[in-house]
Amino acid sequence: MLKITPPELKIIAQYIHDISGIYLDQSKSYLFETRLSAIAEELGCTSYKEFYEMARKQPSKVIERQIIDAISTNETLFFRDTGPFELLKHKILPEMIDLRSPSSPRLKTNIKIWSAASSTGQELYSVAMTIKELIGSQMDNFNFKLLGTDISDGAVKQASYGKYNKFEIERGLPRQTLQKHFTLFGDSWKVKDELRSMVNFRKLNLMLPFNGLGKFDIILCRNVAIYFTLADRKKLFNKLADSLTDDGFLIIGSTESLTGICPRFVPKRHLRAIFYQKKN
Amino acid sequence: MNNLTILVVDDDPVIRKLLEQRLLKERYEVLLAEDGYIGNDMLSSNHVDVVLTDLMMPGDIGGIEVLDFAKSLERNIEVILITAQSSVDTAVEAMKKGAADYLEKPINFTELFLKLEKIANMRSLLRSAEDLRQAMDVTEHTAAETIQNLEVLANSLQTQMDKVDTILSNDEQSADDKVAEALVVIQNVE
Repeated sequence: MLKITPPELKIIAQYIHDISGIYLDQSKSYLFETRLSAIAEELGCTSYKEFYEMARKQPSKVIERQIIDAISTNETLFFRDTGPFELLKHKILPEMIDLRSPSSPRLKTNIKIWSAASSTGQELYSVAMTIKELIGSQMDNFNFKLLGTDISDGAVKQASYGKYNKFEIERGLPRQTLQKHFTLFGDSWKVKDELRSMVNFRKLNLMLPFNGLGKFDIILCRNVAIYFTLADRKKLFNKLADSLTDDGFLIIGSTESLTGICPRFVPKRHLRAIFYQKKN
Repeated sequence: MNNLTILVVDDDPVIRKLLEQRLLKERYEVLLAEDGYIGNDMLSSNHVDVVLTDLMMPGDIGGIEVLDFAKSLERNIEVILITAQSSVDTAVEAMKKGAADYLEKPINFTELFLKLEKIANMRSLLRSAEDLRQAMDVTEHTAAETIQNLEVLANSLQTQMDKVDTILSNDEQSADDKVAEALVVIQNVE
């Protein structure tokens, strides 16, 4: 395995930060080596310096995408921490439905939800399943737009395909829910069309401007800012505040806090979970 | 998706062709090498997940040497040996040297695909475990940071509150003065 030198570590860590916002602890040289050596060696590079030059100069950015796929952490599971999904079901979704109910019964209720770091899709599909459970047979009266974005092409691809192996399925998905929303596909499971048609996935680097995304009623941005520096976290949550409707809701990771990071949000408590709303 | 790239090393063109067709049909990426020399060459300069190599090949580089070379690259490459029934013992020896598995000739494709699927599952589990460890590390680190910041903030608020308390309980000042002084303290809270 190609070994990384301290000066190379510095260059590569800076490069990864530039292309993805991900801040990697330089004391973890093994992480750089296990994730990047295969890509570097396949390209015939004999050093990470050479690898960096090659990646930086490549116009097609194929190597850059490979690096992001290799370095980004796709740790996720269905209904990760049950708290936010209970919160959605019992508090946020009912409140948002009331707020957006149209004056005429002939019109649909429009609600836009964004999973800002959707990884391989489990979070957004969990939101979709929560919505279906809550609304039941009344789905025709609603127009839910669910968007999932992630920086990793590989993750976005899997999320869009909606296919999960048995290990991914076994993490967090109750048997009943599985049978209701998934069909067996070889020895994997595929999301049923009904659920699949509720969601959309696309690639997005949270460090870049959110052009053309519009405003959302509910944003989930869980366990992604933890990979960023404090300065980048501040920028991110400020942009998220811009992307949220004035009466919208923000859900962040259960070990995260916005204190000292973004003064534009007020924390609210419901049962054992915290969510945020914009300060007026 | 998690499609494996398979390098087939075999001197028999019929077996090479057959393996190529069947593997492509199962949507694996396939590379072909007609002997151990070319096989090792391709290993050095290509991304390969699994090597499917014949045990006995003409020349100095047989299946065992391909196995040794693949393992020396420290790149997490799995090797499956294809062997005649008569050399099963050698194949078992090879497994002690790190081969993932072996297949007897004639190749049973159902068996091959099962073995490949197992490798793919193992890879995805390995990556998940690594991601989980990394996520746990970072989460723990930032959670600790968050708690520390909140502790410091709570502490500084408490200090200000104590000051306000002292000011307000000072009986030597007029009520207006006390309030004015307390307000200054409160306004200085960050």
